[in-house]
Amino acid sequence: MSTIPAVDHHHDHGHDRHHDHEHHHDHEHDHHHHDHPVKAAPVQAGGSRRNRIALAVAGLWLVSGVYIVPADQQAVVTRFGQVIEPRVFPGIHVALPWPMDRVTKLKVQQLQRLVVGGYLPDSVLGRTQPLASQFLTGDQNIINLRAVVQYSVGMPADYLFHAQDVSRTVAAAVETEMSRRIGRRTVDAVLTTEKTAIQEEVRAAAQKLIDAYGAGVRIASINIESMTPPPEAAEAFRDVASARADAARIYNEALGYESDLVPKARGEARQMTEAATAYKESKINEATGDASRFDLVESEYAHATAVNGRRLYLETLEQVLPKIKKLVVDKNGSFDLTIIRKNSDSAPPRKNP
Amino acid sequence: MHLTKPHYRIGAAAALVLLAWLTLFSVRETEFALITQFGRPVGTVTDAGLHAKWFFQSATYFDRRLRVYDPRPSEFLTRDKKNLVIESYVAWRIRDPQHFVETVGDPVSAEMRLHDIVWSGLSAVLGTHDLDAIVAPNPASVQADSFLDQLTAVTGAASLAQYGIEIVDVRIKRLNLPEQNKQSVYARMRAERERIARQYRAEGEEQALRIRADADRQRDEILSAAYKDAEKTRGEGDAASTRIYSQAYSRNPKFYKLVRTLESYKKILDDKTTAILSSDSELLKVFMKGEGGVQ
Repeated sequence: MSTIPAVDHHHDHGHDRHHDHEHHHDHEHDHHHHDHPVKAAPVQAGGSRRNRIALAVAGLWLVSGVYIVPADQQAVVTRFGQVIEPRVFPGIHVALPWPMDRVTKLKVQQLQRLVVGGYLPDSVLGRTQPLASQFLTGDQNIINLRAVVQYSVGMPADYLFHAQDVSRTVAAAVETEMSRRIGRRTVDAVLTTEKTAIQEEVRAAAQKLIDAYGAGVRIASINIESMTPPPEAAEAFRDVASARADAARIYNEALGYESDLVPKARGEARQMTEAATAYKESKINEATGDASRFDLVESEYAHATAVNGRRLYLETLEQVLPKIKKLVVDKNGSFDLTIIRKNSDSAPPRKNP
Repeated sequence: MHLTKPHYRIGAAAALVLLAWLTLFSVRETEFALITQFGRPVGTVTDAGLHAKWFFQSATYFDRRLRVYDPRPSEFLTRDKKNLVIESYVAWRIRDPQHFVETVGDPVSAEMRLHDIVWSGLSAVLGTHDLDAIVAPNPASVQADSFLDQLTAVTGAASLAQYGIEIVDVRIKRLNLPEQNKQSVYARMRAERERIARQYRAEGEEQALRIRADADRQRDEILSAAYKDAEKTRGEGDAASTRIYSQAYSRNPKFYKLVRTLESYKKILDDKTTAILSSDSELLKVFMKGEGGVQ
């Protein structure tokens, strides 16, 4: 009974176009029409069994005009084929009984799916139909694309009566808008940045087109499931992607080199200037120290020049002479230089005067 | 009375039912009714609802809903001699049932007519446009929308006049290149990708080299600036120490000479040195002559 969307004929008169209209023709809009079947029955004294049966049947017939629209559905009421209620919201309602009115209920919120660029079973199995999925980009590249369209009933009466094949109409509108959008972009734009924009543009444009056709459909979403270059050129497209990654890698490596080199150089520079400052400070301190020492010693020296001079001289000699080889020669004596070599290894002999 | 009355009533009811069945008919929202009298069309009912006719007339119903017809994909030649495979669709509906039934008859033959109309319309219109009026990366150069609107209007007028068919829309559903051209298209796509890949890599290399060169330059600048500063600082230290020494020593140059000379002895004279001392030297005079050696 429930198909997608469930179409439930409450008062189904099938395909019979000719109806008995004997009693009701003139009372289509008359709420007192139910008097007629009663009058048509033979009026006899109250208790006739046949009369009671006829009344019960007539009553049941009338009650059959009451119908309920469930919460997830909306209904359309037609009277002899003509729409009298294009949209009935959930609740309990009354219509004329068969064969006058016919109530068609629709699950308006239920989403229906269709695939553009292949067939739904292919999409489930992950197959692609090479030809059905090929689209031509603006720069004349071929790409394979598969998109899933989800739609629901927008206007129930339009949905039921305006298009012969609603899903085919939707598919045609979406496909034409899709190939239009793709045909005006470069393959790079299509494959990289523009996917979301294409989906949204196609949804809006296809909706507009379907509204123009009056198909009563609301497109909920268009989702591009796969968008790939053709297998014949896929390798080259992958190489572009890896080239982009390579470029990013080289770039980052260079940035790494820079962030390694420059701080190190700054450190080295700091080291150099610090060392120079240390040199300067120590030079000044040494000089200041030496100068202070000199000052102090000099002021003492000035008190007794001769004695201090001699003392300093002798102190120095005491420090120096023990380390060195010494030859003492007489002022008047001759001196044989070979003695120096001869005695170079041993302690120098003291020549007696 | 008991026997005739029900018979009479049943007979009257049956006659009424039969009359209603012959004269009343309902037309649904989805259809037109064509009223024919002995096979000759005498009128059309376009409003849905209940209608009446003469019992000797009969009603034929036509689906008035929008139909989508997809002609077979066909190859077209553009003005710049490019082949293009086009899948189009035609949204159409029956508008004038009487004319329709007289000229076409049924939807299948209607679609055959539509195919011819649309095919010739498309090939005429594509023959006067270049390929980039249909597909181009720049939307401004694409004229497909306007010429399709024109095509819809022209073919619509023709089909309505000729067949009672309303063409709601003619659209290009899919564009493709002919199969025999595809291999060369794929080759072109590959070549284009290779060029782009090379370009990406070269641009990456370019940026990387630029960054490295910049880094090297920064390092050299930093180090040379540091060298400059360091040498200046050292010079300042040297200058300051020289000044301090000269200030101090110039107060007593004689003493400085003495002290500095003695300092130098300590450094100059070591165990490799041999000193030849004269016996009458200042140091040894006392050694040689005793107290008399002291002046």
